[in-house]
Amino acid sequence: MINSILRFGLIFILLILSQVLLFSNIQFSGYINPYVYVMFILLLPIEIPSWLLLILSFAIGLIMDFFSGSPGMHSSASLLAGFVRPYVLRSVSPRDGYEPNSDPSMITYGFRWFLMYTLLIVLVHHTALFYLEVFRFTDFFRTMLRVLLSSFFTIVFIVLIEFYRRGK
Amino acid sequence: MRSLLNFLAKYNNLIIFLILEGIAVYLLATGNTYHNSRFVNGIRGVTRGVEEKINNTRTYLSLREINDGIAGQNIALKNRMESLVRKENPLFFSFTDTIYKQQYVHTSSEVINNSVNRQKNFFTIDKGRLQGIQVDMAVISDNSIAGVIVGCSENYSVAMSLLNLDFKLSVRLKTNGAFGSLSWDGRNYRQAILSEIPQHIIVNEGDTIETTGYSAIFPEGIMVGTVSDFEKTGGDFYKITILLKNEFRKLHYVDVIGNMKKTEETELEKLFK
Repeated sequence: MINSILRFGLIFILLILSQVLLFSNIQFSGYINPYVYVMFILLLPIEIPSWLLLILSFAIGLIMDFFSGSPGMHSSASLLAGFVRPYVLRSVSPRDGYEPNSDPSMITYGFRWFLMYTLLIVLVHHTALFYLEVFRFTDFFRTMLRVLLSSFFTIVFIVLIEFYRRGK
Repeated sequence: MRSLLNFLAKYNNLIIFLILEGIAVYLLATGNTYHNSRFVNGIRGVTRGVEEKINNTRTYLSLREINDGIAGQNIALKNRMESLVRKENPLFFSFTDTIYKQQYVHTSSEVINNSVNRQKNFFTIDKGRLQGIQVDMAVISDNSIAGVIVGCSENYSVAMSLLNLDFKLSVRLKTNGAFGSLSWDGRNYRQAILSEIPQHIIVNEGDTIETTGYSAIFPEGIMVGTVSDFEKTGGDFYKITILLKNEFRKLHYVDVIGNMKKTEETELEKLFK
């Protein structure tokens, strides 16, 4: 129990630092802004009580808000991602269900499962985030392009990090 | 009572979700407004240390460009001083002139946090209320408009960048003085859109765009950029694309300009509204 709190605390800090120091500084023409910190919501254990999941996703969003000076934007988007995660898990569940006490990782459930799971949650998060940022529906399709491009890069980074974790 | 508890137990996720989302939306609705600096002053103090470290590294890596910029500005200033000294006529303007008052006051400052990739970009500078910065002061960089101060704390200020969907600026064509309104459309951080120029005005590619000074915030005649493209839309006005002079990704040192006669002007204008 204590062990996993420490582990996820470390992941939390590492993801926030890498987002603030590295990924937020990728400013490529305004279309590609990967938000890799969503990975924290992906990595939490499958059997986590859902109230804790909601509070943790709200917390990581709020901290991102402090860093980017955009009150409420990241917190509402990642809270939404945390809210849909149980439904996504249910809809992509493998044929024999999930093993007890397991993490949603690539080692346990395979590459294709992980990609699908990441894709759905990142899309939900980025759609909410980018439309909240613009807060208007003019240029609807341009915002959608930003969502798709940024999601693609976020997913690539998350899968790469997950491969690295598996290698260890 | 029991059915209420059952209800709460059944939908506890949804309830927590709605409460937290409510908090987030409240923050979103109240914190992002044009002149609200509560969020800026309060919570951002926590993250400032990190921002300064990031900025130190970034500035160090681009020292060469910064030096080039400063050298260029120096030359421009020297040339300007030269022309002023020659033109000056002691009969009409002397240093003991008591009617003449300085209108604009400049403060040099460093940008410690900046972005160009959002739709509503802001940047933070390292001077604040204690150094005389106030809300609604103009920020220029390399003699070109960068933004306007929207919030100050003791030692820091946050400015709304020109690259912000809410930013509007009154500008004119230097060649013939036709004025219109400049705004950013959120697409390219190098370009902005100039609207409200009627179609009988002659516009050419490469024309200089400068500020008008109608706003009491920005001094008159500061260059904003050049015309890179223009088209006639359905209405009576051109849609002119402006190539901005400022490279917003490389914003390091800025001048904050305060208008000392601003209150006088706005008080007078208030009388006739």
